[in-house]
Amino acid sequence: MNIIEVKNLKKSYLDGETDTKALDGVTFSVRKGEFLAIMGPSGSGKSTLLHVLGMLDDPTSGKFIFDGKDIGSYSRDELAALRNNKVGFVFQSFNLLPRTSVLENAKLPLIYSDVPEHEWNQRAIKVVEAVGLGHRLHHEPSELSGGEKQRLAIARALINNPDIIFADEPTGNLDSKSGKNIMSILQRLNEDEGKTIVLITHETSTAEHAERIIRLMDGVIDSEELVAHRMTADAEYIK
Amino acid sequence: MTIRHRFTTALRGLTTNRSRSFLTILGIVIGITAIMLVVSLGAGAQALILGQVQGLGTNTIAIIPGRAPTGPSDTAQLYGDSLKVKDLVALQNKSNVPGLKSIMPTVLGADTASYGSNTYQVSIFGATDLMASIFDLNPTYGSFFTQDDVVSSNDVVVVGSKVVEHLFDNADANPVGQKIKIKGRNFKIVGSLPPSGGGSLFNFDSMAIMPYSTAQNYLLGIKYFQRIIIQAVSDAAVTVTADDISSTLRDSHGITDPTKDDFTVQTQQDLANRLSTITGALTWFLVAVASIALFVGGVGIMNIMLVAVTERTREIGLRKAIGATDSDILWQFLIEAIMLTVLGGVIGIILGSSLAFIIALILSRGLGVDWQFIFPWGGAALGFSVSAVIGLVFGGYPASKASKKSPIEALRYE
Repeated sequence: MNIIEVKNLKKSYLDGETDTKALDGVTFSVRKGEFLAIMGPSGSGKSTLLHVLGMLDDPTSGKFIFDGKDIGSYSRDELAALRNNKVGFVFQSFNLLPRTSVLENAKLPLIYSDVPEHEWNQRAIKVVEAVGLGHRLHHEPSELSGGEKQRLAIARALINNPDIIFADEPTGNLDSKSGKNIMSILQRLNEDEGKTIVLITHETSTAEHAERIIRLMDGVIDSEELVAHRMTADAEYIK
Repeated sequence: MTIRHRFTTALRGLTTNRSRSFLTILGIVIGITAIMLVVSLGAGAQALILGQVQGLGTNTIAIIPGRAPTGPSDTAQLYGDSLKVKDLVALQNKSNVPGLKSIMPTVLGADTASYGSNTYQVSIFGATDLMASIFDLNPTYGSFFTQDDVVSSNDVVVVGSKVVEHLFDNADANPVGQKIKIKGRNFKIVGSLPPSGGGSLFNFDSMAIMPYSTAQNYLLGIKYFQRIIIQAVSDAAVTVTADDISSTLRDSHGITDPTKDDFTVQTQQDLANRLSTITGALTWFLVAVASIALFVGGVGIMNIMLVAVTERTREIGLRKAIGATDSDILWQFLIEAIMLTVLGGVIGIILGSSLAFIIALILSRGLGVDWQFIFPWGGAALGFSVSAVIGLVFGGYPASKASKKSPIEALRYE
């Protein structure tokens, strides 16, 4: 079953007086439990596509079916509720709240959810421990390394037990060791917990953690391929 | 999102930027402090003045020659000599004014008093022995002059503390029995008064108080009175007595049309009301001035909240990405602004009333003024609600601006 289906998705911006087409008729689907990588050069529309898929931005036209429902007519509040319950985001620049502890950062999506408050701490500790930050619960983001910050961002994305995680260049700001660590966590979430993952990257080595790669060029799908020899997560991190 | 979490989120936003939050509320603190101070001191001043006026007795009625002019051609206020001895006799007649308990004509003047080589400019107050009880005057040395002194126009005088200080080179000197010279005539001092105090409405320190008959005959050379003070038998009788006084004086002056009265009858209540209106108007004028500070504080809040919204655009984007609705963001920033202003308001109320308390303490202890600290509940309620409204109004625009941001535009903000 598909969690995402898009048909002839278009997104254009008015750049001064010029109509810039970021997406120019994209059609594809994402299976539940799939690990999909979207690649493309700068300006190809990959980030725009991720933002539209993550319901952070509206498409100009086209059909967008999420979890079997056409969300084209959803209100801003309904989309916010979907983002809260079904979606997790991991951004390149982490987007953590400064001067706020690891635990509080991880809990942030819960304040907008229906999850009873007495479960919050327990849930937050569980996801923070799952990404290996159990010893950093009361530290602030400024006291964490880049890799730890991104792991915290993953913990935050997982707190509401989402169906799908959108990761926008999650290793872009990290050294290669931390990058591998992040990719191993994402891969484990996909393989062990069945989370659907949509990853944006421009690095082939990162994309090869996915099962399928879609390449965008000038707002259209240029190619689509299954990864024959899927890169396994680093044994050290699995351990 | 629950209301409690809206508050805790807003509170976290404020506490993570403590110094900015403090600077933001400074304008509100100053504005509310100023309002509290003005209202409290205004109420204190009002209480002091009214207390002194009412201290003369609420059954006291004053008759003043002339009347308030009704226009530029109305010359009634010039009838400065309209109250004469025949009026006094008419008023003392029980059948004319049955509610009259006592009556005291007064005359005023100024002259130089001398003792040996010392001289001092004194205010001459001609009255009767009733003056001591009406103004609650208790001589430090000696006593007040008597009814006999008034009847006989004796050359006796009761002097104020500054008169003693200047003529006898010592404020604590006992001048009773000494003779001072005014207009070449010797007056025997029968009593001296203690200092009146800085905040007293009536200051007798520079006065030479003598029988009105003596002052009229030997110093001022006049046959009329500048005030006639009357005490009614009771507070309840004041209105009727005032009416009786008016009709008696009209008969005495041959006036048939009350609008042509050449005198004004004023009760203590009239005076208290008038003073209350004046001090009240003055207080509210100052409140209006202080409100400008509050308005500037409000603009400051809006300015800082706009900066906060801009500075935290990415945070807004993140919150929206993880599920915050427009109204969650609106309330977050609105509650932040209201919390700031209300906190500023509370600090201002505490600071303003503390300052007013300290000032009241200094005035009452340091300067010997009978000044009471009055906590201005009205000012506090006004300050509190105005600060909340300022938060709502001036925080509303930045909050609304924040809530309308699209998640992705906010996240992309550099």
